[in-house]
Amino acid sequence: MTDPVPPSLDHRGSRRLGRREEIFWYAFAAISYVSLGIYHKWLLNWIVGPLWLVATVAIGPAIIDRIRRRPTSGGAA
Amino acid sequence: MSWAAHQFEIYAVQAHLPRKMQAQVSYFGIYLGDFTPDFLSKFWVYGITYNGHHYGSKVPERWHRGWPGMGITHTLFLGIVFTAIIWAWKRNRAFTIGYVLGYAAHVLTDVNDSVGTMLLFPFTVLSWTLKTWAYAATINGGKYLDAASYYSSLGLVMDLFWMVVVLCSWRVFTRDYWRTNIVPADPHIWSALGRRLPERALLALYRATFFYGVCRLVAWSTWAHLVARPVINGVEHHGYPLDLSWNGPWWLDSRSLHHVSPLLVVPVVLLLLALVYWGANRLWEPMGRAQEAARARRSSSRRS
Repeated sequence: MTDPVPPSLDHRGSRRLGRREEIFWYAFAAISYVSLGIYHKWLLNWIVGPLWLVATVAIGPAIIDRIRRRPTSGGAA
Repeated sequence: MSWAAHQFEIYAVQAHLPRKMQAQVSYFGIYLGDFTPDFLSKFWVYGITYNGHHYGSKVPERWHRGWPGMGITHTLFLGIVFTAIIWAWKRNRAFTIGYVLGYAAHVLTDVNDSVGTMLLFPFTVLSWTLKTWAYAATINGGKYLDAASYYSSLGLVMDLFWMVVVLCSWRVFTRDYWRTNIVPADPHIWSALGRRLPERALLALYRATFFYGVCRLVAWSTWAHLVARPVINGVEHHGYPLDLSWNGPWWLDSRSLHHVSPLLVVPVVLLLLALVYWGANRLWEPMGRAQEAARARRSSSRRS
């Protein structure tokens, strides 16, 4: 199944997220933050909350990209 | 006090700007304006306990909203003073107008709890409250009891109401809206952030306050009704009892200060809201001209 909005590159050459991938990362951030926040309430504050989303959306796709690239670059070497 | 409503109202203000201000009012201005009242007053409301000694306010509601106390932080008067200082300092119309709109949203929303705000300070220090739900910040209960009470009362409905208002304007969360309405109003801040962060992170930063509002609403409500095991009047409950009656919940003593009749509150709030928008509307063009003049002066002094 193809993504409705194909990813492209932004001003820094980083990948933009397609719609489904974006929904996935936002949902992942929300579910993880709420699940942890219920039992560790110090997480529920105006600094950690917004940073949680920004960090997830910035770092999550970058990690996935790196993992996906590794076998290819290893094979080429 | 209101909880996630303060996060949602930022986007509600953004989505309901007068036509001539669209794409020209700073998101960061609205955010900072909405954030200032609690940032200045709330740290001491719950206080901290260290080595068995409690450091914090003796009467939380008086400290937070009363006079003498930090109640002045929840007045339109101080909002206008701060706005004037920001304007005199930066001559930035987008940020200044955003700041006053955000500040007003916070002050006017907080009339809903049983303590309310001093809307007409400095003319009177009487509080204006609708007593929709109980103000629940206490020394012993701290943040936990406050959250449990808020999310067991009409405060929960208030948060959901603001969330629906914002979701009805869902376009404010799209990438297109961010690029065409949010970034142009704060070009320097977004440009500085853009040197360090990818676009997907910048967009997430813009949406992050809404994300935080939804998550804290869900997390605190879940904890209060499914996880907590409170003992109320000697009886252990599975979750705090939900009570959507006026000035609820029943299981908590509602705090209040000297206040005017709640019947006066709605018309005065609507009048003040209209006055704030009218003032912003009237000052919009003169502020634009003053901003251009200040910019021209700065660039000519740089050349010489």
